[in-house]
Amino acid sequence: MPDALLLAAALLCGIAGMGWLALAMDVHWRQLRSGTPARKIIVTLRVLGSTALAASLALCLTVDHVSMASLVWVMTLAASALIIAFTLSTRPVWLAPLLVWLPART
Amino acid sequence: MLQSFRHSMTWVHTWFGLALGFVLMVCFFFGSLSVYDREIDRWAIPASRFEPQPMPSFDRMLEPAFRRIQLTKEAREEAQTRNEEPLPDTLPLHEWGAYTTHRDPVLSMWSGFELTRPKDPDNDHVYGVMTLDPRTGQELSEDKLKIGSQFFYPMHYELHIHWLGLGYWIVGLAALIMLVALVSGVVMHRKVFREFFTFRPKKQTQRSALDLHNLTGVVALPFHFMFALSGLIVFAGIYFPVGETMMKPLAKAHQKLEASRTGLPEEAAGIPAPLASVDAMVAEAQRRWAARGMAGEVGFLGIHHVGDANATVSVYRAGTDRVTLTGEGIHFKGPTGEVIREDDPKTAAAGINDFVTGLHLQHFRHWLLRVLYFVGGISGCVCIATGFIFFVGKRKRQHAATGSQGARIVDALAVTTVTGMLIATATMLVGNRLLPEDLPLRGVWEERIFWSAWGLAMAHAFWRTAAVAQARIAPAWREQCWAVAGLAGLAAVLNWVTTGDHLFKTIADGYWPVAGVDLVLLASAALAIVAARKLRLREQAGAPAAKEDAPAPLETAHA
Amino acid sequence: MSTHSLSTLHVVSRVAASLLGGYVFVWGFVTLGIALLMSAGMPYDEATTTLYLLAFILFLVMFCWAFAAASLVRVWAVLGGGGLLMTGLAWLLIPRLL
Repeated sequence: MPDALLLAAALLCGIAGMGWLALAMDVHWRQLRSGTPARKIIVTLRVLGSTALAASLALCLTVDHVSMASLVWVMTLAASALIIAFTLSTRPVWLAPLLVWLPART
Repeated sequence: MLQSFRHSMTWVHTWFGLALGFVLMVCFFFGSLSVYDREIDRWAIPASRFEPQPMPSFDRMLEPAFRRIQLTKEAREEAQTRNEEPLPDTLPLHEWGAYTTHRDPVLSMWSGFELTRPKDPDNDHVYGVMTLDPRTGQELSEDKLKIGSQFFYPMHYELHIHWLGLGYWIVGLAALIMLVALVSGVVMHRKVFREFFTFRPKKQTQRSALDLHNLTGVVALPFHFMFALSGLIVFAGIYFPVGETMMKPLAKAHQKLEASRTGLPEEAAGIPAPLASVDAMVAEAQRRWAARGMAGEVGFLGIHHVGDANATVSVYRAGTDRVTLTGEGIHFKGPTGEVIREDDPKTAAAGINDFVTGLHLQHFRHWLLRVLYFVGGISGCVCIATGFIFFVGKRKRQHAATGSQGARIVDALAVTTVTGMLIATATMLVGNRLLPEDLPLRGVWEERIFWSAWGLAMAHAFWRTAAVAQARIAPAWREQCWAVAGLAGLAAVLNWVTTGDHLFKTIADGYWPVAGVDLVLLASAALAIVAARKLRLREQAGAPAAKEDAPAPLETAHA
Repeated sequence: MSTHSLSTLHVVSRVAASLLGGYVFVWGFVTLGIALLMSAGMPYDEATTTLYLLAFILFLVMFCWAFAAASLVRVWAVLGGGGLLMTGLAWLLIPRLL
């Protein structure tokens, strides 16, 4: 079932992308790290987030016709944003892997 | 109207949202269930729990079956009121139709008859229906209600209010208000992007309800907007019936022109003629689709002017991997089987319309998109429910102080349309499993059970929301959560007891239609229990000093 | 948010204007639009589909405007008056299209 795997990957990319975009915001950054993120980190997080969302779209396009894929992608983004919002409100540490390349200072 | 655009939009959002929110709740919830209408049908009619079947042979199976279709007593009585003279025992045949999808094991068939002397020449048909098991050619009893596709699905667009078509108009108004609420909601919301991911469940109930309202509204905004809009566009002809009124001469002239242009005769010739092999026509249609690189199964087979020299056979494709409607109809001369024409390529407007309609009707094959649609619909329910909770929470203390019943009434109606609706739904499924299998008018009884349960839930909601008038949390929410948990769990258990199809079996067999319904029932029960326990804590915390605000049965809306 | 300054009559009239006036306006727009597109050579069904696709977006905009506009008289004049005017024009055009 390669299609199912590709769609799962698209959803994962969507979740990761939304996660990075959320962590680029002060309020959510502070749920994992202290202080405010440096300007450079914010830019990096946003680039990572946007890239992951674009990758999600690319994956959707490999599975379906373009009209179907764009619909799947829009809905995937909504679901990803919901998942990230609920994760941030209950288990923010689950998003720690998204910042694994940034060692905590203290 | 008010001092600023934002104030005016806030007023519109609050009051129109409140007034139509109860209807929207019904539309979103039963719309979400409609995503899985065929699966709910399987759950409700155990005799139809088998794999989806392709369109069976017309010549061998369908034609004899079509000839067996009779009018029900009710249909005949209704038709009599539209006819000048007493109807004869057998009415002249007009058309046959057979419809299936990639999710349907059973085939829907209908036979249209002509009235002999219609009072209104534009309303001169009456229909009989049949549900066929394509494996055997035997019909299933029409007394068995297809709860998903015949009850929940129409509920979401016409509320089962048939008088003057009022149900359509109420839903249409609600859909317009949904669009308005989304626009005005964005205007009101000062921090759309800053609070995009914000949900603070541990804060005061008011705050977390508003967070959840904004979150589910904003994140799924494209979904909510497109579904409300496309729903309106699907029924645009009902809401703006220009072709039946002001522009009727133009519509008629166009019909005549189309009939002569396409060669599909509008009227019967009045000369009897037998049908050629329809199976051969179906094979030819499939050959032509394949030649265009769009091979597919037959979804809809229609025969006009049955038994007449002007008979036509139209073959349409079933839903595919495209969002848009992809009928690609091919039309044949009934008596000879020669091709009259293929549907024209779509014009730009028709292309957009078919895409928008296809997006809403979702005839396509895509399991993930179906799941996401369901989640989107339920998020709409959460958005509306939290809107009610915020409305009540914001006003109940002031209303308690002034002795106003406003907040209490709104809270009672909110309980009725949130948990009460879940109770009605779950009770109907319980009733479906408990009523005797061969009870006459079984479906009618199931509908009665649904409405009675909803009525009882409403009475309970009005009785047990008295606490709101003292600015406390209404116990109705918690008590109805327990009822939802009990009934949803019971429905899943009864499915096991009465059919033997328990979850271990259906999952092991990979029979997802029934397994999925059971899983959603159990998940709803679990969420309802969690919600009830949280409500108990909040009620206790808020009891003496009325510190806490509205209840938080947000999870229940997921059911 | 205070509506105390507004009379009940004003609110009722405003709501009626938004819904009834809005409906009449969209009706006029749809019928006149179909008539004009047909005058330009478009077939009836395509013209109808085109206008149906636009109708509800227009309704949404006019509905919101009915509450945003300061003058209630202007709201009624534009929605009700404009709607009737467009419907009338469409009415005049129909016989020429047959």
